[in-house]
Amino acid sequence: MSAFLLFVLLGLGAGSVYALLGLGLVLKYRSTGVIDFAHGAIAMYSAYVFVNLRSTGVLELPWIVLPHAIPLTGGQPMDLAPALIITLVYGTVLGLLLFLGVYRPLLRAAPLTKVCASVGVMLYLEATAVLNFGTTSLATSPILPSDPIRLAGIAFPSDRVYLAGIVIVVAVVLLVVYRFTKFGLATRASAENETGAALIGISPTAIAGRNWVIASLLAAGSGILITPISSLDPTSYTLFVVPALGAALIGRFQSFGWTAGAGLALGIVQSELIKLQTVFTWLPQQGLSDGAPFVIILITMTLSARRLGARGDSGTWKNPKLGRPSRPLLTSIITFAVGVVILVALQGSLRAAFMSSIITMCICLSLVLLSGFVGQVSLAQMSFVGVGAFILSHLSGDLGIPFPFSLILGALLVVPLGILIGLPALRVRGVSLAVVTLAAAAAMDALVFSNVGFSGGLGGRSVPPPSIFGINLGISDGKVYPTITFGVMLLVIVVFIGYCVARLRTSATGRMMIAVRSNERAAAYVGIRVAPLKLFAFALSAFIAGIGGGLLAYQQGTVSSSSFAVFSSLTVLAITYVAGIGRIAGAVIAGLMFASDGLFVSFLDKVLHVGQYQMIVAGIALAITAIANPNGVASELAGEKGLALRFVRLRDRIFPQKPPVAGTLRAVNLAAAARHPVTPAVVPPVKEKEVAHG
Amino acid sequence: MTRLLDVNDLRVSYGAVVAVNDVSLTIDEGEIVGLIGPNGAGKSSFIDALTGAIRNRGGNVQFEGRTLDRLAPHAVARRGLLRTFQSVELFDDLTILENLQVAAEQPTFLSMLRDLVVPSKPKGVDDIAWASSLCDLDDVLDRFPQELSHGQRKLAGVARALAKRPRLVLMDEPAAGLDTDESIAFGERLRSLPGHGVSVLLVDHDMELVLGVCDRIFVLDFGSVIGVGTPDEIRNDERVIEAYLGGHDVEA
Ligand SMILES: Nc1ncnc2c1ncn2[C@@H]1O[C@H](COP(=O)(O)OP(=O)(O)OP(=O)(O)O)[C@@H](O)[C@H]1O
Ligand SMILES: [Mg+2]
Repeated sequence: MSAFLLFVLLGLGAGSVYALLGLGLVLKYRSTGVIDFAHGAIAMYSAYVFVNLRSTGVLELPWIVLPHAIPLTGGQPMDLAPALIITLVYGTVLGLLLFLGVYRPLLRAAPLTKVCASVGVMLYLEATAVLNFGTTSLATSPILPSDPIRLAGIAFPSDRVYLAGIVIVVAVVLLVVYRFTKFGLATRASAENETGAALIGISPTAIAGRNWVIASLLAAGSGILITPISSLDPTSYTLFVVPALGAALIGRFQSFGWTAGAGLALGIVQSELIKLQTVFTWLPQQGLSDGAPFVIILITMTLSARRLGARGDSGTWKNPKLGRPSRPLLTSIITFAVGVVILVALQGSLRAAFMSSIITMCICLSLVLLSGFVGQVSLAQMSFVGVGAFILSHLSGDLGIPFPFSLILGALLVVPLGILIGLPALRVRGVSLAVVTLAAAAAMDALVFSNVGFSGGLGGRSVPPPSIFGINLGISDGKVYPTITFGVMLLVIVVFIGYCVARLRTSATGRMMIAVRSNERAAAYVGIRVAPLKLFAFALSAFIAGIGGGLLAYQQGTVSSSSFAVFSSLTVLAITYVAGIGRIAGAVIAGLMFASDGLFVSFLDKVLHVGQYQMIVAGIALAITAIANPNGVASELAGEKGLALRFVRLRDRIFPQKPPVAGTLRAVNLAAAARHPVTPAVVPPVKEKEVAHG
Repeated sequence: MTRLLDVNDLRVSYGAVVAVNDVSLTIDEGEIVGLIGPNGAGKSSFIDALTGAIRNRGGNVQFEGRTLDRLAPHAVARRGLLRTFQSVELFDDLTILENLQVAAEQPTFLSMLRDLVVPSKPKGVDDIAWASSLCDLDDVLDRFPQELSHGQRKLAGVARALAKRPRLVLMDEPAAGLDTDESIAFGERLRSLPGHGVSVLLVDHDMELVLGVCDRIFVLDFGSVIGVGTPDEIRNDERVIEAYLGGHDVEA
């Protein structure tokens, strides 16, 4: 029994961190409506600053290339107190700058825009940390006294108790401040509505800024406090934000008490599972304790979410603009032809990069459909891709199912997963959905992708090359790598999927999807069954992502789970968003220009050797796009003098259309039909009037 | 005349506030029925409750002889009972035409899959043409809702409901924001609806419109019906004048 108690106490360590971060997230959300995915990254960066001060006395600034290491002590380690204070100030200033630069301009933006901006900040900080500090994890000396305490026959480090104490104190202080002070009142009022805050006489922006600073201070504090407990590395620290988000979600982003409690509880559950694994050997031995909190978050969120109310819930924020594909078949054929020309023209590594671009397009198309058309944010898209890739490797490797069937069957098998992850979307909306899907991705990471039987462990799993009618379609053929046939196969599949998505956009289904995105409530009142429609979108999106996964597997020959980590899902959403998530052209641009192994980046890397900065640039581009142009690059191109419009004009000049059936003209035709009624029931209103008065 | 809608003791409460207090109301086929009352009387709540938005409402509702109790909004709409919104609520990312199409089309699962590959014939063209010409939207079909005047948006909301060829439309303040001429024109359009097999429950503050167009009028105050009658009876009902028309000078 006492062993179980020991693990409860040990779990307080991680739990405290989740709780502290969660409290900061609640503060930020309550004052600005932003769910800050970069919150963990701020803790991470502060932790690195602290560790560097303590070991060498160097102050690390959060950028690259420019001088960023300022020696403060001439190489001597700094004492605890000054290092602590400097780091806390540092975190606060960093938070304030980010608020002023990124979040303040977005106070009234759409949830997806806010999500993408904060993902941009997160990617930036993480990538900067990787470049400046490396990825090997550091261990540091303790801060809190950690001499063992003996209790009920067990000995455990006392710092866990201090940590939990700090959490409780912070939660109580926040509770009191926000319930009883004028500042707290103003924050509550500004969360309700802005005039409320104005009545109290404080500008909502000022309130938001102050809350943001307090939250950043908490983030920096928790970053410092965990360093002795968990070894420090950029990725895992940044990802502490996921359980913290879970805790905040359980507190509904409102309650400090519940958030702190949930954070501690998640840590305890996690730690207890480690113990249980040793007792019950039938439990999954990999990833259970990492995955369990996310599963808990998924379930609680889904069950506790409120139904959409009768009125007023649908916000007034703007969604990203949508494209309006004209003549999809012709466009697809032209795209295919151009693609083949590029394939033939390029060679070696650039041709391989072009192939990566095509595969990324496929994955991005799955997001255009789901997040662009239906407005459902998914931060688990790469999990679909990964499952598709591994299933293909099982189907074509172990089971020997031949090429087109294995790919299609593999993608079909991803569909149930898509529906499963889509289930929360029936009750959870907007940013909360982003958090829930992120939790799902993290759970998949921990429970599915770490399963050696499924993913082949560190070495990954190999995938036999595709072939049809005895023709080798694989990426390598003898000495030739990469082969044109493989590229053509990619083009055929991905262009066809693009064609389908374009068709969908202009069909009745597409209109229903966009109606749901615009106004879910009104959609239900005209007879749309919102829930099945959303699941349909998730299923279709998972299928497309699954195909993308299969293609990726064929391209790489060996798939390993590291390609599908949580961060990759964030990145892929980010690049699609920047490129234009409402348009098929957005997916094309994302693949060609922004994919880290795609054509443009590989070209730059080849010429300028800047590949290592890709993530940093992506992060900045994402934040800037979110602020300056939430419709994405593709929308810019679709404007008055844009490239897209020129393409359409050129296309229509070379392949004239008769009769031209553009969207406008169709409308006019319909209007004409209205003036010349087809059915006897249709009586123009003017006549009716005459009857009534005559 | 056959009974279309039969509402018995409908009750809606938000916590302690009783917004609709045991309201009974009937609508016959081909009727235009008015529902008036001061702000906060519970008119919108009544519509919400009828169309399935409020789960635990009291009372029961029969529509064309079948119960609507516990049906979700989409199911109510598919039965032919449509509503419009006080706050318009068009689909902002779709053109007016597409707004009407969304209501008129009802794709099946199979047609949704087929749509992915081959374009299918447009559905509900006649209904859309009818709704659009009735609401005078033919010239703005390819515009987006934000490009329209407020009055046109309101009409588009009505047209969207009509495009589904409903049996009964519940209109929540469709004439709010229309000027006098527009309101008169709208009244004429309304009058023509029963001829097309569409009955109407009209909620509006524009007394001229309501008194001019309705066959019967229900008056709601603090959630309760305080008067029912023809426009003439309502005009002269003491309690109604006191509670609602108050100091207003109501001319015929
Ligand atoms: N979601 C809600 N929660 C709590 N109370 C509500 C809610 N919706 C409406 N109410 C209250 O119910 C009562 C009836 O409101 P309702 O909107 O139905 O009135 P109405 O007759 O449509 O008014 P108006 O003419 O202003 O549109 C009001 O007192 C209102 O404050
Ligand atoms: Mg109302």
